[in-house]
Amino acid sequence: MTTGAVWRRLDPLQPLLVGMLAVLGLMTVYSARADWSRQLVWVVLGACAYAAASAFDYRRLRPVALGLYAATVLMLLAVHLVGHTTLGARRWVSVAGFPLEPSELSKLLLVVVLAAYLSRTDRLSWRSFGGALLLIAPPACLIVTQPDLGTTMVLVAVIFGMLFLAGASAWQLFSLVFAGGVALPLLPYVLHGYQRKRLEIFLDPSQDPLGAGYNLVQARIAVGAGGLFGQGWLHGLQGQLGFVPERATDFVFAIFAEEFGLLGSLVLLAVFGTLLIRLLRSAALAPDRFGGLMAGGVFVMILAQVVENVGMNIGLLPIAGIPLPLISYGGSATITTLAALGLVQSVVLRRRVVAHGAGDPVTLGTITRRAQA
Amino acid sequence: VIALGGVTPKARWSRRLIAAASLAVLLVGGLSVKLAELQLTDGATLAGMARANTVHRIVLEADRGIIYDRHGGALVANSPVWNLEVTPAALPVDARARTTELSELARITGVPEPKLVADLLAADPYADVPVGGNLTQAQELALAERLPDLAGASIAQRSMRTYVEPLVFGHVVGYVGPLNDADLKRLRPSGYLPGEAVGKVGVEAGFESMLRGQNGWADVQVDARGQVVRTIDSQAPVPGKSVYLSLDAALQRATAQSLADGLVRDHKKAGASVVVDPRTGEVLALVSLPGYDTNVFTHGISQADYSKLLDDPNRPLLNRAISGQYAPGSTFKMVTATAGLQEGKITASTLLNCPSYINVNGWIYHNWASYSLGQMNVSKALATSCDTFFYQVAAMVGDVTLARYARAFGFGQAKDIEMPGVMPGLVPDRIWKQLQCGVPDLNSDACRWSQGDTITFGIGQSYLLTTPLNQAVYVAALANGGLVMRPTLMHEVRDSSGQVVQSLHAEVTGHVPASAANIMAVREGMRQEINRPYNLNYWFRAAGVPADGGGKTGTAQWGGSGLDLPTHAWFVFFAPYSQPEVAMSVFVERGELSEVEAAPIAVQMMKFYRDHAGAIRA
Repeated sequence: MTTGAVWRRLDPLQPLLVGMLAVLGLMTVYSARADWSRQLVWVVLGACAYAAASAFDYRRLRPVALGLYAATVLMLLAVHLVGHTTLGARRWVSVAGFPLEPSELSKLLLVVVLAAYLSRTDRLSWRSFGGALLLIAPPACLIVTQPDLGTTMVLVAVIFGMLFLAGASAWQLFSLVFAGGVALPLLPYVLHGYQRKRLEIFLDPSQDPLGAGYNLVQARIAVGAGGLFGQGWLHGLQGQLGFVPERATDFVFAIFAEEFGLLGSLVLLAVFGTLLIRLLRSAALAPDRFGGLMAGGVFVMILAQVVENVGMNIGLLPIAGIPLPLISYGGSATITTLAALGLVQSVVLRRRVVAHGAGDPVTLGTITRRAQA
Repeated sequence: VIALGGVTPKARWSRRLIAAASLAVLLVGGLSVKLAELQLTDGATLAGMARANTVHRIVLEADRGIIYDRHGGALVANSPVWNLEVTPAALPVDARARTTELSELARITGVPEPKLVADLLAADPYADVPVGGNLTQAQELALAERLPDLAGASIAQRSMRTYVEPLVFGHVVGYVGPLNDADLKRLRPSGYLPGEAVGKVGVEAGFESMLRGQNGWADVQVDARGQVVRTIDSQAPVPGKSVYLSLDAALQRATAQSLADGLVRDHKKAGASVVVDPRTGEVLALVSLPGYDTNVFTHGISQADYSKLLDDPNRPLLNRAISGQYAPGSTFKMVTATAGLQEGKITASTLLNCPSYINVNGWIYHNWASYSLGQMNVSKALATSCDTFFYQVAAMVGDVTLARYARAFGFGQAKDIEMPGVMPGLVPDRIWKQLQCGVPDLNSDACRWSQGDTITFGIGQSYLLTTPLNQAVYVAALANGGLVMRPTLMHEVRDSSGQVVQSLHAEVTGHVPASAANIMAVREGMRQEINRPYNLNYWFRAAGVPADGGGKTGTAQWGGSGLDLPTHAWFVFFAPYSQPEVAMSVFVERGELSEVEAAPIAVQMMKFYRDHAGAIRA
């Protein structure tokens, strides 16, 4: 079997969809007057990461999962110890002069770690259920205290989603929901002042139309002003004149919706939707439980970000600093997302196939190992 | 997993995966529905809000017209001033940055920070809110330097009225001030905006509709920091029209100077003088003293300074020339004389005694002289100002007829001059007395018109009141042979291109019902008065001014009835005698002797007029 045959197992739709998102993202970032050339560099770097992750045998991650976990925790600790503070939150560390946002990378690493942990057994016992929660607790605490409400919310979704996909029983899931229900009233005590304010303002945006409610109101106006056909690329009034805050990152969707209208937004959501289904299909094609759970974890990670980001842009969900995958400006998020998608592609590439005319089903992994040998 | 030859295994969709896929479809679908609702259903509304956000209508203030004297000397200038304006919505979103900026703005403008914050909170968040008063040059420079870092702040240039020689021209020109609520209610239909400057007093108010320009506007696109990105559409403002007053600035100055000199000479505090052209009714000079600095009103007057002006016992804010009402005293005798002649009670040659007093129903009415001046005709009675002569004439004519003649000369009439606050004075009659007495018994002394009222009416006392402006119009009517002119301050009005759009229109508002001969007899008395040796004639000779004209003094008692009442001094005068060009009234508040206090002022004014008649009439 030749390597050419390997690439035929590739999911061709996935890179196509990813490419479309990256192009739309670059266009929107350009329109939002952010440094689009840097974003281009990140997309290129991300594409390299994507290719590398695709070629890399994801199964080799499983043995080093403990190391990855330790690295994640250390990285998040580093943020607390030497991180930079912006807008009241400590989220950044400099590595060789480059600002990195470790919580972005930690999302992917925790997906891998959880997938590795949950794939140790085929069934999810109460013991491993609890183990998974204990495992995730330290990094989650480090992230929530940065504070990074957005990433925390994604993390909660990822844990819940992966436990669900790992086959958690109805009781286990119910206990999670119950615990969440008990914890929710405590939220105001955990949240920082500005986060609490954001929640309050989400519930009543008119209480501070000039302060924190301004973002919400202006983003909603921008989206609505887009109408059916949009105002045209680079011609959104609200976005171009700076009324939409954080227009290249948190509120990038408002810029997109204003300029491309409902039709453009539906296309974007359709691309995201197709990509998400494609990720689940990758999970369904996965040769092992680890790969399946990993693909599922990436699915939840992206779904949660899309829903929260678009939701807050149209005033459906409270504001939390979450990037729209591949659309928002930002190196850590772009590269992490592309690497995650590459890992899923790696899972697809290594699915079991039957060679034409051959009797034995062989896995790609076997081929690689043979080749190395 | 065993797959048969040549078949690529299908994806194994577990129920959990299908559930996850359904959830994803459901969530993305839900977002799509909500998005459609936002962009289609609310789209038009939100697009309107986006436009309101980004497109602002800026008012382009029109320059107010300039006020000139009749020769084009500017009496007011529009000088530029700078204001800090803040758009609350454009302030930094971040609370800490906002607080920092607000305290910096407070520091630069000197407005207390709590007041600044309160003002901005109360204002329309998308409007440009003026903060603090006018900036000094230093403040303006400091602010301009910091402006790029101050989101939402901008410097607006406005023009402010600066008045020339306000102590001389102030009572005529007046001043502008911001619209108050009552004005706004009245003027809103004419397109006035809150806080806009509007003429408050003087011709600034009288010619408001001419002076006010038509504001223009510009629809501009602004970014979130309030900076203008581009202009979408605009309409240029139309400047207000220029008003050329009938005043002669030099004569006005000379009048103010003469009056001020006279007041100082006789230790008096207040007075007024009006000079009109008897042929047209044009006001050549109009002075009321003391004056005040009208510029303090446009530059923002403090409550303390305003109270000081209000409480000043000399009442500088009162324009005595048009609003001060005083008894005319002996200057009224020409009315009594005209009535007596025209009604046939006397002729020009009728001789009446001028005793030192007359007795009416047991009441004694004195002449100013404690001895009899003998027999005299009406002209001499005017020249000597014999009170007892006119008591007799008034008694013959009767109060009703006398009031009719007084009104025919324009007494009791608020003149239609281009200034607010014109008072009519008062011509009393029986009905007026009964209406105002305030006693239920209409036959009581307080309510009943007495013979005493009639005879003192004849010498301009009783309840009679007039204003310096009315006096000037009255003496002008005697000068021009019986035409009561509408006094006007307008010479001409020009639009911004210099085109004359309106010019003087002399208007006769009434004819004195008297024959030319009778008016001539009265004028003859006035001529004699200023030519009496050892009397008024002295002032003319002293000043080197020919006593060519007619005049009448008056020392009017006020503040009740009885002896030793305080008095006001009057002098009314017209010149030259045959073809009068000027008619004037001079009033000295609390003046005691009109011959030595009021008359010399008029002579000094007349001297200036004679010396500069060519320039004044140019």
